[in-house]
Amino acid sequence: MTWWERAYLPEILRGLGITTGIFLRNMAKWVTGRRGAVTTYYPEEKRADFAPRNRGKHILTQRPDGSPQCIACNMCATVCPAKVIEIEAGFDANDPQHPKYPVRFEIDYSRCVFCGLCIEACPEDAIRMEQDVPSLVAGDRWAMWLTMDEMLTWNPKQDVAKPYPPKPARPAPGEGAPGGRGPSTH
Amino acid sequence: MEFFIDGVPMQAEDGQTVIQAARANGVDIPHFCWHPELSVPGNCRICMVEVEQEKGDPWFDIACNMPVTEGMRVLLHSEKIVRLRKQTMQFITLNHPVDCGICNKSGECTLQDFHYAHNGQASLSRDAKTHATKFFPLSDRIMLDNERCIMCTLCVRFTNEVSQSKALCAVNRGDHALIRPAEDANFDNDQYSDNVIDLCPVGALLSRQLLDHARVWYLQPTRSVCPGCERGCSIDIWHRKPEWALRALDPRLNTRIDRVTPHENPEVNGLWVCNKARDLAALFERPRATQATLGGAATDLATATASAARLIAAARHPVALVSSWGSNEELAAFATALAPHVQPFVKADHLPLPGEVVEDHLLIKPDKNPNRRAALALFPALPGTLAEAITPQTDLVLVWGEGFDGSAVPAGARVIRLDAYADPVQAQADVFIPVSIQTERSGHYTNFAGVVSPFTACFAPAAGIAHAEELFRAIGLALAPAVAGALTGPAA
Repeated sequence: MTWWERAYLPEILRGLGITTGIFLRNMAKWVTGRRGAVTTYYPEEKRADFAPRNRGKHILTQRPDGSPQCIACNMCATVCPAKVIEIEAGFDANDPQHPKYPVRFEIDYSRCVFCGLCIEACPEDAIRMEQDVPSLVAGDRWAMWLTMDEMLTWNPKQDVAKPYPPKPARPAPGEGAPGGRGPSTH
Repeated sequence: MEFFIDGVPMQAEDGQTVIQAARANGVDIPHFCWHPELSVPGNCRICMVEVEQEKGDPWFDIACNMPVTEGMRVLLHSEKIVRLRKQTMQFITLNHPVDCGICNKSGECTLQDFHYAHNGQASLSRDAKTHATKFFPLSDRIMLDNERCIMCTLCVRFTNEVSQSKALCAVNRGDHALIRPAEDANFDNDQYSDNVIDLCPVGALLSRQLLDHARVWYLQPTRSVCPGCERGCSIDIWHRKPEWALRALDPRLNTRIDRVTPHENPEVNGLWVCNKARDLAALFERPRATQATLGGAATDLATATASAARLIAAARHPVALVSSWGSNEELAAFATALAPHVQPFVKADHLPLPGEVVEDHLLIKPDKNPNRRAALALFPALPGTLAEAITPQTDLVLVWGEGFDGSAVPAGARVIRLDAYADPVQAQADVFIPVSIQTERSGHYTNFAGVVSPFTACFAPAAGIAHAEELFRAIGLALAPAVAGALTGPAA
């Protein structure tokens, strides 16, 4: 340490000067309506500096009729390293295109590690992660379970980056793949 | 005789086919339509093997239908066989939909396994897959997904040869072929129908009970014994693995019996069980008795046990009705601890239900209790008329298990009941103690032929439920000083 630094007070005053200068600059910007320091008015505002591929809140994609795209195959729950996904499946034999569907779909955010393996494992692109992070504040750990209702509030029309996959249509009789014959009619 | 598989010398018996001899030597040849207990149709062709000749070209044949000859040299992994299996898998999966994500069989599907082992590539076909009926109810218990069916006809042969209901048949040909109920039979009447679900190598035959339940990799089997009749078939009870325990969903799903499958046991049931075993969940998951009571008022286990011991010690003509659902260990504990103090009789806990098949050609036996043979070896049977066992002098009746309504108990006699399931008569008993059921304890049953089969605990019993074996020991310990005191009392 030099004798100037050992004198203590001048350096302290210099430090206070830097702090005060930044404070006053930010204050002047804020008073004149400009954005000063990178401050987000959470939770009203979303952070501007989230990466486009940030892994945040889970959403369940929907079919055009609003039902979840999920087929309750449990791949996400099986691959999940923290074992936080729980799915209760329902079965509807009258809908042969999509006989299995989730009755309940729950994610425990108190244990989720946001690794994104559930999204990788999904064979139906039924689960995705939004850019912004969910509110992880809750009074008790049971309030941190994300339910299917919350995951289904996403509106697929706004998601431009990943277009919504159209519902796979069963080929009409006589309309097979090119070069093939039509499917049987029994 | 000696023969060779991929150059390794192996022993075979006369008359064995290549697939049987290979299995006997621990070599598995892939197969869909072959089954050790059923006839050989040879229609899936996946078990094709190459046989080397001394002179001339090698020849190819299906291992399931080719008898072993002396010195035969079989190749399972030659270049041609590998290509042949790949092409066979391509053909078998030609119309099979790739809906493993929702298929109940995924995780234990032979087609899935063989596809990974022998083919593993996308279909080369440009034709659209044939769409058959997706969900066709074959019976009240079984759903057929004909799109997934590969026409191995195991189910048809099972109903023809083993269950002999002849309830299933194959209609149409080629990729239009379908499994359908036979016209003059009802698959609902087949007591062994659920075995075709296990037999099916793909997810075409589905249990309607298990249709939307857990995936198979969440489940684990626990060896058990079916208590449905005195045959005592060896079974596996499938329940959720502890590491996959659910937290948010209904916690009862963690202690639920998800399905029951046969456990191969050549001495008792071979490879099959009847539908009664498949429905054990309904039997075991009836409303349970969980609270020990004294004259209808709730109490704790220790007080109830002590009260029961006091009542037995004070009784002059006590009678005990022993459960024929008790394990060998529980019956032995009863014999040492309680039998010296009470007059025991073995009762039938369960009688055949109306409409139930009493006896048949395969497995079902008339006595619907699993362990009556072992109980009768220790204690006398309940006489035909109950009055011979419970006389007007009887002042205490200990009832262990179900199947006794209590109307024969003389007025003024005390009643001790031990039962696992909730029943209104329990509130009238002087002492009631809830006991554990078969899925909560380990033990052995002796079947009608004297074969002893073990069963293992799947779940932990709830608090306040006693294991009957420990309960008898505790009562016996409490009784010993009381009886000793009663004997030495007047003399002193």
